[in-house]
Amino acid sequence: MLDWLTTTVKRVRSETPTVKTFTLALPPGSQPYRAGQHYDLRLVAPDGYQAQRSYSIASPPEQVGEVELTVERLDDGEVSTYLHDVVVPGDHLEVRGPLGGYFVWEARRATLPLLLVAGGSGVAPLMAMLRHRAAAGVRLPTRLLYSARTLDDVIFREELGRLTAGDPTLEVAITLTRAQPTGWRGFARRIDAALLREIATPLGSPVTAYVCGPTLLVEAAADALIQIGFAPEHVLTERFGPTGTL
Amino acid sequence: MDWTEKDFNDAQRLDGNAAAGLLEQCFGADITANLVQCGSCGREGPLGALHAYIRTPGLVLRCIQCSAVMVRVVETPDAIYLDAQGLTFLRLPVTYASE
Repeated sequence: MLDWLTTTVKRVRSETPTVKTFTLALPPGSQPYRAGQHYDLRLVAPDGYQAQRSYSIASPPEQVGEVELTVERLDDGEVSTYLHDVVVPGDHLEVRGPLGGYFVWEARRATLPLLLVAGGSGVAPLMAMLRHRAAAGVRLPTRLLYSARTLDDVIFREELGRLTAGDPTLEVAITLTRAQPTGWRGFARRIDAALLREIATPLGSPVTAYVCGPTLLVEAAADALIQIGFAPEHVLTERFGPTGTL
Repeated sequence: MDWTEKDFNDAQRLDGNAAAGLLEQCFGADITANLVQCGSCGREGPLGALHAYIRTPGLVLRCIQCSAVMVRVVETPDAIYLDAQGLTFLRLPVTYASE
């Protein structure tokens, strides 16, 4: 039985104007987590009122003893606003996990090329997979298609650049849906079947796909992948709900 | 986009994965990777891939093929009620100790 753990916030890092990564120290003997899993996090007010949310793990399993949760601040969010506006290193946060046995990628068990499709903060669990892949030295052909509103909203941009620079088997394609900087040579539209086909085709077939982000984006992308020939059992999804940041 | 009530409901949809914590409390283990079969249409697949709705009274998991309700979980102050009548089975892998 998984109990609620009290963790200590080690670091808080701003990734974008609306996204922060919280590094939490896990108690010794905590169950190791896998890339793709999440923790439930709960806040308890002095009057006993509780608010609970699930946050995907962004750190790889190799980062033993701590876990990174990359959280987008939602203006009407009960928990995300508290995390962003109030929490500082040294604070304590209650979490339960790691949870999720379905949306998981393990480097040592993987045999197929990998397609990762991210919408906004949905990149978090996919980043755990990419960090785990790099740490494990796996060179299966891998492509990330990442949809964000503007370049400033692209989380982990520099790290993604470093990961691809050292690894010809990894490619990252970014599509900016709301505004593009002058001279932008990446994609500039919402993810559709044609875009997915262009990204996925060089990976061959079969390919395992992980899709994560706002629900509507995830469903459109998953439907499109099946439309272009992916087997349904090779398309795994993690819907984040109605955070409309496509 | 003109939002209908259906659009609002669709945008709220999550994966069965979102129920991992609550179901772990029920079963003492994470069952999101476990195989389930829909009692209405017979479709088999991992529980984590079902459609989950959490802004209902309690949590509802629906079949992704026929939308039938497969699992309902309701929390009360002193109990969790699990209604799994929409499943024909939930598979729980077991390893038996060798003789």
